[in-house]
Amino acid sequence: MSRAAPVAETRPVPRALESAVAREEGIALHLRGLCKSFGTARVLEDVDFSVRAGEIHALLGENGAGKSTLMNILGGIYAADSGGVEIAGRAVSINAPAQALSLGIGMVHQHFRLAGPFTARENVALAAGALPELRGRGRLEARLSEAMARTGLEVPLDRPVERLSVADRQRIEILKALSLGARILILDEPTAVLTDEEAGRLLALMRKLAEDGHAIVFITHKLREVIAAGDRVSVLRRGRMVLEGRPVAGIDAETLARAMMGEEAVARTDPGPAAPRREPGEVLLSAEALSVAADAGQGGVHAVSLSLSAGEIAGIAGVGGNGQQELAEALVGLRPMSAGRLVLKGRELSSAPVGARRDLGLRYIPSDRARFALALNAPLSHNIAAGEVRTGALGRALLSPGRLRALAARLIAAFDIAGATAGGARPVRLLSGGNAQKAVLARELDDAARLIIAHSPTRGLDVAACRHVHDRLLEAAGRGAAVLIISEDIEEIMALSDTIHVMSRGRLTSPQGPRPDRAAIGRLMLGHA
Amino acid sequence: MLERVTLERRATAPFWLSVATYLGAVLFALGLSLIILTATGVPRDALFQELVMEVFFDRDGLARTLTAATPMILVGLSAALCLRLKFWNIGIEGQLLLGGIFATTVALYDIGGAMRLPVMMLAAAAGGALWIALPLLLRLRLGVSEVIVTLLLSKVAFLLLQHMVFGPFRDPTHNFPSSPVLDAVERLPRLGFGNVHAGLFLALAAAGLCGLMVHRLRFGFAANLTGDNPDAARSLGFPTVRIMVVVILLGGAMAGLAGGVVVAGTEYRLTQQIGLFATFNGIVVAALARNEPLAVPLVAFLLAGLAVASGSLKVFYGVSEGIILTIKGVILLSLVTAQFFTTFRVTLDRTGTTERAA
Repeated sequence: MSRAAPVAETRPVPRALESAVAREEGIALHLRGLCKSFGTARVLEDVDFSVRAGEIHALLGENGAGKSTLMNILGGIYAADSGGVEIAGRAVSINAPAQALSLGIGMVHQHFRLAGPFTARENVALAAGALPELRGRGRLEARLSEAMARTGLEVPLDRPVERLSVADRQRIEILKALSLGARILILDEPTAVLTDEEAGRLLALMRKLAEDGHAIVFITHKLREVIAAGDRVSVLRRGRMVLEGRPVAGIDAETLARAMMGEEAVARTDPGPAAPRREPGEVLLSAEALSVAADAGQGGVHAVSLSLSAGEIAGIAGVGGNGQQELAEALVGLRPMSAGRLVLKGRELSSAPVGARRDLGLRYIPSDRARFALALNAPLSHNIAAGEVRTGALGRALLSPGRLRALAARLIAAFDIAGATAGGARPVRLLSGGNAQKAVLARELDDAARLIIAHSPTRGLDVAACRHVHDRLLEAAGRGAAVLIISEDIEEIMALSDTIHVMSRGRLTSPQGPRPDRAAIGRLMLGHA
Repeated sequence: MLERVTLERRATAPFWLSVATYLGAVLFALGLSLIILTATGVPRDALFQELVMEVFFDRDGLARTLTAATPMILVGLSAALCLRLKFWNIGIEGQLLLGGIFATTVALYDIGGAMRLPVMMLAAAAGGALWIALPLLLRLRLGVSEVIVTLLLSKVAFLLLQHMVFGPFRDPTHNFPSSPVLDAVERLPRLGFGNVHAGLFLALAAAGLCGLMVHRLRFGFAANLTGDNPDAARSLGFPTVRIMVVVILLGGAMAGLAGGVVVAGTEYRLTQQIGLFATFNGIVVAALARNEPLAVPLVAFLLAGLAVASGSLKVFYGVSEGIILTIKGVILLSLVTAQFFTTFRVTLDRTGTTERAA
């Protein structure tokens, strides 16, 4: 059992010498051995990373890989537990966002940091408040118009930002960073909110800025864009740099996908469930050309057809943000379908409310459990009994507190929820992520569950909790339920699913053959099929 | 060295801690109030008498306190029900006024025959519900902030009230703007204890029923869940919009009922003063009761005592309205601070070496 060696070699070089080398090679930013933990969770472990002036360095990683934490350390929002940051060969410590700015680090966050009612001009002035040398309106104006001339970006400067398009707001963020003197520009998933055309324009702008001598860090999880726009690429997985500073020219998408998703882990655990484990039963769910309209920042779902039988586990792999959330919500009944048909247990339910679908045995394990599954301040017992309360099983008008507590106690024991009192009186927010997820499972995987939509059911969970979740889902399928797992974790999909689909840009494709290999799935995820 | 103050949410607050902090807060507030009042010239030995004995232990004083508490219970329930669903009802006054107008209308037009009084109360509740329906609709359909709409609709309701008491409802027998006096059958019966009237039972019953709903009914469970996390409630198949509509209309109805109770229980006519301080009182009661319907009567009772005491302080000792408001503020802030300390654990970090120290 050997861990894949980090691809980039690290030669032991004396520190002073290395710094000198850094100056020579024009290394704008160098991180060395960065570690960060939150409580017992290690989010970054011994991370090395460097970016040169004049290059676009793509930083790849799945959700939860540690990209945002890394970025927040550079932005002065978090302090690293250990490790060092060098800027242009000089060791620095970044203790506050203002300090990051004065060191020439500019951030374009995924969720823009702009004050909506203010104009672009005012937003830049607001940010410049942290930099004494920029006080005084004239100087700032000069910087701003210079940045606009240099980049060729045209944005309305005197309209409230909230009335501008998302793309315009992003341009303002970039102009803001440049006006404040950023030499190192970090963009966190900047294309996630853009249309393809706008994304193309942004990538061109990034290239221009790089040629201008800026160091660009391009955080993304879209392999396509890395290959199209990056000079070098690093891959962060579960807090470790598994691939560091490799030139994009000599690398293919499959290698990147593997690094990002962790092939060595699959190689360890992937004997693959031997073919279909169960005889599939009657068809429980059939979606025909299901579409969901796109809305702000989300791409929608295009004509997805899918059929699921009793006892079957189907997996939908794919990089997040390709329509998975919209598909899950449409199946559950939280989001209207714009076209197509949905049939559940032989009943047409295309526009049925959530309750009617749950009455037929549909259950939902959402990816964002704090938002869609749990009332964090309510007692655990209420959270896990809520499904039965709705059906009236615990009393039609008057609830029976005794039966509610008994049900909670039984489920807490059965699902081994740690950190709960026997009656489940303590609020759910006091549970760890894994135990909170067990609470969701305890409610959703009841005996009446016939069709289970599980979206990223193990995101953010540790190994033991992952196993627990997987075992429960397998058990449910064994009882004859149909399970649909939507996940970015390709290992999870491959380990559990009888049938595998891939979602990319709102469309569902299915690889050929009964046991598709990772390469085939990877190609479909990139939309090359 | 930089000192860091960290706040940590307590997992659970032990019972003794709640009791101790609340008692401490009350004592602190009383102490501070005593200093303020003696500084303004109220004799020290009269204070305890006025603030505690006269309003809670004296027969007449207790009766006045209970009478004042009656509408406060209802407006407190109104605010609490709405706040449980994160709906900020800043227009309790308006709903109360509509309740008063509706109840008076029933009385003046002699609607309902022998059932006059129940019909008046139902009409009052309906008036309150009606006045909250518009902000509710705007919030649900268009996402308009209910804070603004309810607040402004109070002003509209007040204009409507003025129209009624200066116009169609004006009592022709005197020059004051008010409706004619209600008939005996239109009045809530007195209980033979000062001015305390049957409205008190109505208010207590309302609190009890709200408590029953919140703690025992399946509907209340769904409403609690919707208030805590509407997205989760929707994902579980609860009809969140319907739940919201029912609870908020009920909240408006409570405020309307308060208007009916004031008109039929104490004023016996529609006047311009029936809605004074209703919104403020409602929100303060709900906040101190932490939106718990069963705690609302007790909180309303204590605050009513304060209101009655401040009345006599004003009359007998010439204490100004400003001082009275200051004292109310001191008491409220102390109690809110006590809530803060039972919710959070505060620690001082003297090492100053961690994260943010720079």
